[in-house]
Amino acid sequence: MAHISPAIIMRTRDLGESDLLVTFFTPDRGQLTGIAKGARKSRKRFANCLDLFCLVNMEYEPQRKSSLFFLHSGKLVKTFCGLRTDFSSLALASYLVELTEILFPTGVVELDMFELLKNSYNSLNEGRNNEIIRIFFEARAMMLAGYGINFERCCKCGRTYTGKGRAVFQADKGGISCLGCEHESRLSPGMGADTINQFKVMQSETETKWGKLSLTGEMIEEIKPVLKLHIEYRTDRRLKTAKYL
Amino acid sequence: MLGFHEELDIIKVSRKGSSNSGRDTILPKAETFMGIYPPSFENLINQFIRLPGIGQKSATRLALYILRSNKEHVENLADSLIEVKEKIKFCSICFNFTDNDPCPICLNENRANGIICVVETPGDQLAIEESGIFKGRYHILHGVLSPLDGIGPADLKIGELISRIDKEGIREIIIATNPTTEGETTASFLFKLLSEKESSLQITRIALGVPMGGDLKYMDRMTLEHSLKSRVPIHL
Repeated sequence: MAHISPAIIMRTRDLGESDLLVTFFTPDRGQLTGIAKGARKSRKRFANCLDLFCLVNMEYEPQRKSSLFFLHSGKLVKTFCGLRTDFSSLALASYLVELTEILFPTGVVELDMFELLKNSYNSLNEGRNNEIIRIFFEARAMMLAGYGINFERCCKCGRTYTGKGRAVFQADKGGISCLGCEHESRLSPGMGADTINQFKVMQSETETKWGKLSLTGEMIEEIKPVLKLHIEYRTDRRLKTAKYL
Repeated sequence: MLGFHEELDIIKVSRKGSSNSGRDTILPKAETFMGIYPPSFENLINQFIRLPGIGQKSATRLALYILRSNKEHVENLADSLIEVKEKIKFCSICFNFTDNDPCPICLNENRANGIICVVETPGDQLAIEESGIFKGRYHILHGVLSPLDGIGPADLKIGELISRIDKEGIREIIIATNPTTEGETTASFLFKLLSEKESSLQITRIALGVPMGGDLKYMDRMTLEHSLKSRVPIHL
């Protein structure tokens, strides 16, 4: 039975003469891949809606003998034109897709992830600060995937973090440790109390509420290496698109 | 009892497993038919499967056709494949495929100098050339900016385009990349780069909007927006 749901186009690949293999992200079924028959020639069923990062209303149904879906039609809801204006925006949009693919592969469903991806593209479209969009997305996506950083206590001595003073990030523990247990280094980057508070806000927000964030340039510089180490350790890879950011 | 992050590690491993199973379905091209056909025939099928857009059934059909064809036909096909690989190269000026460097278009003195049409692929250049409208020169980028596919500015023939501006006294550059997200970003990127390099250079973009024979009812909002923004006065 055909199913209609909003979807964000993640990847497309030519298939045969006029078909397209489309990977898209839906709120209720997560990441799916389907075949859009005749999509490269169709002016009616897929009128310009299968372009990268577009938000569409997709009509699709599963195939009997394959895990691939059959795409009936699509209607364009929104094209994030702001992503097309410069290479840095395209690179960031691609990075968000790659991270989503890794954290939420086919079969892993998380309702809030779709909203996070959509809101991040909206923010990119509106020309917001790319660095803030990136770290907010990374922190929130990792949290949604079950890899949130534990800021409650020192992961080595167990002492409760009271929200005062600097702490050191420990990638292998997925948490922080106090300066008494660990020194700051390139592999154990330090964060100030204000930075940790902002980090906690980013992890706990259910929606992209930019108004609640008050990130300074210094905080961003502290958060970036922490998230880089955290993502690389937990996903066990370096993202291909990260080199263009 | 497992700690919080140890539990997460287990979830991570199980997710990786589900990820792989998902990816397997996306990549259907695999060497198959082991033991069903003679080895040489299987080998031919597997070679065809490696071609873009060819699946198992099409590969078998092509292999059967080759088997049934007369020897002369098959030899000609094999010779053509080797010849095209040995003789065809990039034109050192426009980067189109050619068997003589420079290519006939770059050598043609009757074509307008000073105007370059920048396209993504040789196929796009061929489409414009077949229309017979454009009489200037071309430059083929061999792709578009696509971070998801690992293609950045250094992977395209952009440096070569910039070096042509001074060398050939270029006055206008027409950016004719496709109106996709990646094509549009490439056009924006080129526009910024070229306008910084040469402020007197005229940089234009091919028009976007309702296609000939199109139906407004089926147009998406973005196409209509482009069409209305780029509307032109009617000249009879």
